Amino acid sequence: MSLLDRKLLRDLRALKSQALAVALVMACGLTMMIMTRSLILSLESTRDDYYREHRFAQVFAKLKRAPHAVTEQLAAIPGVAAVQTGIALQVTLDLPGMAEPATGLIQSLPERGELNLNRLHLRSGRMLVGRGSTGEILAGEAFAEANNLKPGDEISAVLYGRRQTFRIAGIVLSPEFVFEAPPGAALPNNKTYGVFWMPYRELAAASNLDGAFNQLSLTLVPGAAEQSVIAAVDRILRPYGGRGAYGRESHPSHTRVRDEINVLQGLSVGFPLVFLSVAAFMTNAVMSRQITLQREQIAMLKACGFANREIGWHYFKFALVIVVAGTALGALGGVALGHQLVEMYHLFFRFPQLDFRLAKGVLVAAILVCSLAAVIGVWGAVRSAVRLPPAEAMRPEPPASFRPALVERIGIGRFFTTPFRMALRNIGRRPARALLTSLALALATGILVVPSSFRDGINHVLDFQWDLIQRQTVFVALIEPGPPRALADLRALPGVITAEPVRAAPVELRAGNRFRRLGLNGLPAGSTLNRVIDAHNREIALPPHGIVLSAKLAEVLAVRPGDALQVRVLDGKRPEFSVPVVALSEDFAGTAAFMEIGALNRALGEGDRISGAYLTVAGGRWTEFLRATKETPRIGNVVIKQAIRDGFRKTTAESIGLIQKIYLTFATVVAFGIVYNSARISLSERQRELATLRVIGFSRGEVGAVLVGELTLLTLAALPFGLVIGSGLASAIIQTVNNEFVRLPLILTPANYAFAVLVVSVASVLSALLACRRLNHLDLVGVLKARD
Amino acid sequence: MSSASPASTVTPPPVFQVRGLTKTYGEGEAVVRALAGVDLDCHAGEFIVVLGASGSGKSTLLNLLGGLDSPTGGTLRYRDQNLGTADEAGLTLYRRNSVGFVFQFYNLIPSLTARENVALITEIAPDPMTPEEALELVGLGARMDHFPAQLSGGEQQRVAIARAIAKRPAVLLCDEPTGALDVRTGIVVLEAIERINRELGTLTLVITHNAVISDMADRVLTLSDGLITQVTANPQRKPASGLRW
Ligand SMILES: Nc1ncnc2c1ncn2[C@@H]1O[C@H](COP(=O)(O)OP(=O)(O)O)[C@@H](O)[C@H]1O
Ligand SMILES: [Mg+2]
Repeated sequence: MSLLDRKLLRDLRALKSQALAVALVMACGLTMMIMTRSLILSLESTRDDYYREHRFAQVFAKLKRAPHAVTEQLAAIPGVAAVQTGIALQVTLDLPGMAEPATGLIQSLPERGELNLNRLHLRSGRMLVGRGSTGEILAGEAFAEANNLKPGDEISAVLYGRRQTFRIAGIVLSPEFVFEAPPGAALPNNKTYGVFWMPYRELAAASNLDGAFNQLSLTLVPGAAEQSVIAAVDRILRPYGGRGAYGRESHPSHTRVRDEINVLQGLSVGFPLVFLSVAAFMTNAVMSRQITLQREQIAMLKACGFANREIGWHYFKFALVIVVAGTALGALGGVALGHQLVEMYHLFFRFPQLDFRLAKGVLVAAILVCSLAAVIGVWGAVRSAVRLPPAEAMRPEPPASFRPALVERIGIGRFFTTPFRMALRNIGRRPARALLTSLALALATGILVVPSSFRDGINHVLDFQWDLIQRQTVFVALIEPGPPRALADLRALPGVITAEPVRAAPVELRAGNRFRRLGLNGLPAGSTLNRVIDAHNREIALPPHGIVLSAKLAEVLAVRPGDALQVRVLDGKRPEFSVPVVALSEDFAGTAAFMEIGALNRALGEGDRISGAYLTVAGGRWTEFLRATKETPRIGNVVIKQAIRDGFRKTTAESIGLIQKIYLTFATVVAFGIVYNSARISLSERQRELATLRVIGFSRGEVGAVLVGELTLLTLAALPFGLVIGSGLASAIIQTVNNEFVRLPLILTPANYAFAVLVVSVASVLSALLACRRLNHLDLVGVLKARD
Repeated sequence: MSSASPASTVTPPPVFQVRGLTKTYGEGEAVVRALAGVDLDCHAGEFIVVLGASGSGKSTLLNLLGGLDSPTGGTLRYRDQNLGTADEAGLTLYRRNSVGFVFQFYNLIPSLTARENVALITEIAPDPMTPEEALELVGLGARMDHFPAQLSGGEQQRVAIARAIAKRPAVLLCDEPTGALDVRTGIVVLEAIERINRELGTLTLVITHNAVISDMADRVLTLSDGLITQVTANPQRKPASGLRW
């Protein structure tokens, strides 16, 4: 080891807590970067492998009923590589010991061989092959786990009014159900919704679909245009009650995985960028101070014949050690937390195997990024140091010129104590430094605002969704749209207080050449249980004519209130009509469109029909109500708001809470790092002066007060500014995360601000105390003897 | 023991040849003429003491000779090399290979021991002695592994001398090496410098404002207001141990 390196190590040891503070800040940024990039890599590669190995389809369609012969036609569409047709049937499940009704989706297995597309992955038990195996079924893992079902267990379901019992042969996974949730549900509820597979023959018999199919999936040859294939599929299926084909981008399970990756992608940029900038800033502060302190050493090295390059490299290495330490810590942290979060993803996503994969490229990039941050941090300081002619550097710096602080000049100075006046003058002497320190403290404050704003945003969405919009106790969907009498029947169920109908239809909305497919909801004009709310939290009354779009959907379709929209219904009589956009509603997930129920029914041309209803149920008769729904065969799906909310608390909220806690912890570490570093640098700059004060008889407390006073003043100045920065950062990071499918509002609460202020204040006080402790250990003679 | 004065032999080419050397700092109103036109030849093995009031330009002259700074005008030659026109890299190489500096405030690296402070330089010099040899030369063989903070001022200055001479420099430049020391330690330090000059034949320039020290020299230059106003040749050098002030 060269002696300059040895000097480096010893200097580092003297500065270890500051170096550690910088390394920790860097590590926090890197941990998040490595964690998120690795999770993206893990999810993407696992998903892609799974999709490929299990032949996940690219286009999907549901229809009423088509004979097998149609399959040939579908296969003949140019661009189609493979077709898999089959039956899917919604059933009511009867789970012993569970009050609320559960539903399931049973899909058919081909009569011969394995599924061609969307192949199953066997978890335990055995597959069902051939035509035999009567009375046996395969169950999806999420449901089986939630209900503690194992191969050999039995499960009862009501198929077309007939109750049947099946033995579970195996537990399986399907690429179609990586996210196993009922159609339209944003959140999983694995206890009351499950997916199953059974042989075609039995399912066809139960559903009167012998020799026919009601759903299909297909894959495309490379380079085929998905849109034209979808159009061709729709054309072929029209006579058979086709409900509109869609691509993977609209597949419910696929979009959930994609959205998660999108959110991670947003997070992998914003947070690390902020943290690494802070780290660069701190590196600069530490190095500038270090180089100022070593001005004469640098001059001596130059006098002895060391070249600028060698000296510059020496100091750069100083920063590099911090980078390496930060990177190592960050990599360890990223891997450890990444493993944790992968575990968490098991809660939501069902892959045959989801392993943590370290994004090695990112690790290399991280080292480069951090080195770059360090170079930027060190560059200026080193350059000015090596530029100084050695003869000049050997001369001590001219004494600083002081003048009375502003408050003294305007005459109120006498109200302050001497230490406080000194603090004021110190700030006034080097306003640029004071400004930089304040900026650092402001950043520390700002960083703390961001994670809490995420939490508050999510809470806002949930409150909005569940308190402001959805006020029902339960939503029940009918197996098939029914007449108005069905609403009366539902209203007559025990305990029901109010009931409001809903009519839903799959549609394609088109404006010019932009279009989206989604479910159009018809609601009563004065709907009170599922309300349509605008951006100002005001209720939108659905007019007898016209359509209300969620703001994001309007943006996607590039329409504004007043513009006309083409609606093509993908079900039933398939009417096409044009409606004006009358208002925009607020919505935070996905996209939505609403019409007045009467208007929608008129447009659909099938008479007054309802697809389901929102109900409020009296608490006292809840179990009675549930038992009744279980015994009503026309009810397909029962969505209990509280159950979803609880489920959300236990899974999603917990995971978001975990991420938010991680980020908040990091932000706190960073805030402390910045504040402590600032305090240390001020201490180092004032060392001589403070020691002089001690020598001429000031007490430790009085001398400490100078330091504390300065830090307090800077902190006070920084806090309001920091809250502004934090709000800007939160807004910017939320912008990077938001997209068509997931949106968070920017919610900034007083509690959030108060927390940030509290952490930075506590950090300031603690740092000042730590610095004061160093002051106590100050070697007075040594400091005064040294020429600083 | 030969103490033949190099000046008495057939004049070999001088180590430094200085003609009309000027150095000004600042510009306009604030211009300071630190050197106003200095002519000087220095020869190998000479011991030269530079006297002068504070601000007379002593340090400026030494810094120019040592390649720490570039002159404003005049010529400055070290052997065949024109230091006045040398670039940064040229000056760095010159300092690295040919010059040893000793400063008033020692300027040791506080985080390195005595031995390491010397080794720092021997690592980059082309033909150095070992740090141990250098430290023995200044009488510090016993305190090699002490950090600067554990050494007295005189000892620190001797480490600085060891660091300066360990590379076997052609020139040893000392700027008020005893300025911060008491008499007794000052003499120990001067003895060390004297010994280097004698045993290694190093051209040595010592700045001081202590006239007593001039008795050690072959020649004494007196500067005032940036000019050499007086040159005295000593017929006999007095050993450092005989000095008192
Ligand atoms: N870097 C500099 N900038 C401005 N003036 C300087 C600088 N260095 C030296 N001087 C001035 O040049 C003159 C000579 O300085 P110096 O050589 O240090 O004197 P000495 O060493 O004899 O005390 C002084 O007036 C000093 O103030
Ligand atoms: Mg001087």
